[in-house]
Amino acid sequence: MAFSVLVVDDSPAMRGFIRRVMTLSGLEVETCLEAANGEEALQRLREQLVDVIITDINMPKMNGEEFLRRLETEGLARSIPTLVVSTDATKARILRMLSLGADGYMTKPFSPEALREELERVLGGRHV
Amino acid sequence: MSEQTLPCSAFAEDSDPAATLKRVGAAVLETMFFDEAVATRCDHGWIASAPSVRLTIAGSHCGEFLLSVSPEVARSIAPAFLGIDPEEISDSQKSQVLLELANILCGSVLSQLQPDSDLMLGAPEPIELDEPVHEALHQCFLLPEGMLSVSIRMCGAD
Repeated sequence: MAFSVLVVDDSPAMRGFIRRVMTLSGLEVETCLEAANGEEALQRLREQLVDVIITDINMPKMNGEEFLRRLETEGLARSIPTLVVSTDATKARILRMLSLGADGYMTKPFSPEALREELERVLGGRHV
Repeated sequence: MSEQTLPCSAFAEDSDPAATLKRVGAAVLETMFFDEAVATRCDHGWIASAPSVRLTIAGSHCGEFLLSVSPEVARSIAPAFLGIDPEEISDSQKSQVLLELANILCGSVLSQLQPDSDLMLGAPEPIELDEPVHEALHQCFLLPEGMLSVSIRMCGAD
């Protein structure tokens, strides 16, 4: 079953890589929205809700930590699972993002198989 | 940088930082470009004309990360990374992918070398690098299209 996703990353190249990896994974992506930071992402979500969010951490204007806090305060965190993707694989960072409400954490880069497995887990088998 | 340069001893949490750089670098390159990357020795003569990127490292340690790629690799990585026909790739996309490659390589290697540290990476920036960085942890990789060089120089904190 197809699902919709919002990819949040300030690097257009990384957003392109994530799109490519999702395609290679065999996942059926119905809609792929994009945003360059948390602020843009919240705006996209006010226009259209998605099934899952994939977000970077280090971004201008509104970083991933603040974005997760805003998802919580705007009541979106419970209905939309969030997967954090970052180059930072330190324990402190991973624990901090999970404590802020992230449902999963992957370090860049990742294989199509790894992304599929993690998306299936955070979506709980609802859409994939 | 005014701090004392500590090329290898700064990686106190890793008993063999050179091996970690070789292993993590190869794994990252293969995952990003869906092709083999072989750690190799090189004479560095190609680096003088190579597109290069620099990231600063701050936090519990300071330092810098440098990436250089041969012109052939510079042309090939964006199509491989984005899955786009080489003829459709713009100069902007080539530049963005090179910056992103430096960001990912630096973050991945440092996360393995310093897993318990609190490091902040600066934004990657293109630079002209006339010669390899001295007193640095360094590794060259052979990709199907050419060469890639990674150097990390760490300094003690203030």
